[in-house]
Amino acid sequence: MAYDAQAVRRLVARGKQWDKVFVIVGLLCMMVGILTLALLLVGLIQDGAGRLNWQFFSHFPSRRAAQAGILSAIVGSSLVMLVTALAAIPLGIAAGVYLEEYAGRNWVTEIIEVNVTNLAGVPSIVYGLLALSLFVYGLDFGQSILSAGLTLALLILPVIIVSTREAIRAIPGTIREGAYALGATRWQTVRDHVVPYSTGGILTGVIIGLARAIGETAPVITIGALTFIAFLPPAPVSGEFPFLSFEWMRSPFTVMPIQMFNWLSRPQAAFQENAAAAGVVLVVMTLLMNAAAIWLRVRYRKRIKW
Amino acid sequence: MTLGKDDIGHHISQQYNQELENLRSHVLHMGGVVERQIADAISALEDGNTQLAASVVGGDLQVNALELNLDEECSRILARRQPAAGDLRLIFAVIKTVTDLERIGDQAERVARTVLELANVEPGRSRPTMRHMGDLARRLLNKALDAFARMDVAAALEVEREDLAVDKEYEAILRQLVTYMMEDPRTITWALNLVWAARALERIGDHSKNIAEYVIYLVQGKDVRHVSIEERERQVQGVVSGQPPTV
Amino acid sequence: MDMSAGVIGAQAADATMPPLKAEARELDFFYGELQALKSVSMPVAANRVTALIGPSGCGKSTFLRCFNRMHDLYDGSRYRGRIVFQPDGVNVLDRAVDPIEVRMRIGMVFQKPNPFPKSIFENVAYGLRVRGERSRRVVAEKVEQALRDASLWEEVSDRLDEMAFNLSGGQQQRLCIARALATEPELMLFDEPTSALDPIATANIEELIHRLKEKVTILIVTHNMQQAARVSDYTAFMYLGELVEFGDTNLIFTNPKSKRTEDYITGRYG
Repeated sequence: MAYDAQAVRRLVARGKQWDKVFVIVGLLCMMVGILTLALLLVGLIQDGAGRLNWQFFSHFPSRRAAQAGILSAIVGSSLVMLVTALAAIPLGIAAGVYLEEYAGRNWVTEIIEVNVTNLAGVPSIVYGLLALSLFVYGLDFGQSILSAGLTLALLILPVIIVSTREAIRAIPGTIREGAYALGATRWQTVRDHVVPYSTGGILTGVIIGLARAIGETAPVITIGALTFIAFLPPAPVSGEFPFLSFEWMRSPFTVMPIQMFNWLSRPQAAFQENAAAAGVVLVVMTLLMNAAAIWLRVRYRKRIKW
Repeated sequence: MTLGKDDIGHHISQQYNQELENLRSHVLHMGGVVERQIADAISALEDGNTQLAASVVGGDLQVNALELNLDEECSRILARRQPAAGDLRLIFAVIKTVTDLERIGDQAERVARTVLELANVEPGRSRPTMRHMGDLARRLLNKALDAFARMDVAAALEVEREDLAVDKEYEAILRQLVTYMMEDPRTITWALNLVWAARALERIGDHSKNIAEYVIYLVQGKDVRHVSIEERERQVQGVVSGQPPTV
Repeated sequence: MDMSAGVIGAQAADATMPPLKAEARELDFFYGELQALKSVSMPVAANRVTALIGPSGCGKSTFLRCFNRMHDLYDGSRYRGRIVFQPDGVNVLDRAVDPIEVRMRIGMVFQKPNPFPKSIFENVAYGLRVRGERSRRVVAEKVEQALRDASLWEEVSDRLDEMAFNLSGGQQQRLCIARALATEPELMLFDEPTSALDPIATANIEELIHRLKEKVTILIVTHNMQQAARVSDYTAFMYLGELVEFGDTNLIFTNPKSKRTEDYITGRYG
């Protein structure tokens, strides 16, 4: 059969047309998401940019809008994140490593796995209720940074566990076999190979979890974060013995989302501006954390090529 | 493991099967050509037919050409197929057989040459007939080639035994010719030519025996060259019956 | 030496075999219900190269991995029979024997080069660290010796801190060999070590194996028959979990005793 160039060309041209159609449709869909986000940001910035100055960051909230600042909120958010990280990271990684490397393939493990994934879907306010009865009253941590940090740690625990497990699963079996073939014990293999090589994925999961936690409002309100805090928690280090104190963990506090909510519910327009400004700060913080996650992932991917 | 006639083919590669089949048929073809050379040479010797003798001499060129072709064929299979086990023994046996066939061709040509020589020489007394010995030698080659074609070890062993008969005939003819030479020195040139012709026929028997040895190697993987007939038969029977020979 | 029935050619290997490093005796192996190895008995001569050949799924890799108890890493595997290690005569498949101890005496090189995502030096040193070697001098010496034995020292001596992934495929495989050699194993297991490499890298590694057998006993699985013919002193042909024939490589490749072996070697087989 002779080669029919015309027919082939027509076929290819039709295929390419569909290519173009899909590219346009895809672009439009993408733009919808991006444009929405952009509009929101622009709106926020327009409303709040005027209030962003050093004073805003260094003042406590006040009845007078012009003098209100987010100092206590930022400090509160940061301290809560600190507690969350300190609690969730070791627990999450250890649980993930145990489930992947040590647990046998039996029905007990399967139940645990199912529960871990389900935890991620529990509404965050339910976590707040749990925290209220367990941390605030049961263990008598009170309405403090400690309780908030632990609550949020529970919230993001599934995220960390899952990303740890995914990162560990990405390690090829031959690497593990190579380690075992050299006479390594299971612990040595985990310590020298499994955990170091999955660090990239784990860190990514941690940061994504924290980025989510920083914006969680419902559980924090439930356990009683106050909305008008005009003081900072006591400093952890002091000049006198015992130099390190944990008083700050038991101190009352507030966080960014709550401060925003508080301002939003006031009628004065000036407070709306404050809220917008705080919103901008919150968005920037979240974006920075996500960017850090992406950068880490890229960096680790360069060193480890499976 | 003992190779049988049907074991040569059955490779997954049909092309390889065809190549080996071609190789075998080319060897048998060369064998046929050489057999005819022997037959013609003996005829020429008995009848003093110089024309036939000349054609035998010319025909040796074809034998040489066949040798070259077969060697090249073997070389190609070795390079491209890396034969192992039975296939390797086959190539080995073919290469060796071809060499012996070419030598047999040379011997036939030598017989033909003596015919041409004898035409110029005074004939002596009644010449001893070499037809019987010649036929024996030719049949020996035929049997060896047949054993090769059928991968038949029993037939190969018979060739080895029957070569003894050729040797005996040669000795008889030699004695006869030596007697002639002693009685009448004028017949020496004539007699010597006949001696060389007889010797050539005896060599043909030896080369046929070699071919039979290659067949045994091919089929059983036992190298029976330079081994006595009794020992050889013992080893071969041992393999056939499945018991290892007591060394 | 007691060889079980069904192993053709055992007699030929009998009287003239050098001392053994290990011996499998009536070895069965099960993946759950499936029996992958059936009554395999085979000697492994010390300081020699023994090759395992056979079609896919014949059990040669399964058999290899029994020697260093790699199957223990996966649930559902069961051994029956013995693999006796000389000179102490211990059965390494015994449940009372710690697989970690077994693996410390045996080195393994895998089909696809699997260097750790670490530096070249750390790769080779890992086996030593696992054994608790702390002296930096000793580690450095043994790493260099191992790299020399693996014919890699010349190429990497000036960049030991570079990531192992930067090496070519052939170099990576030699690195894996050095890594296994660093701990001075008694037995080295090679599982199709060159099937992922180009002909030149393959030839380098075959040459390396030839030189290594002075120091260490080698058991190699290969699906390339010519490689088995080139590299080994003894060859074992396996089919469907059974050992069909074992013998001197020269004999196996010129005149095997079993028709199945003959068929496989001459390509009358899948």
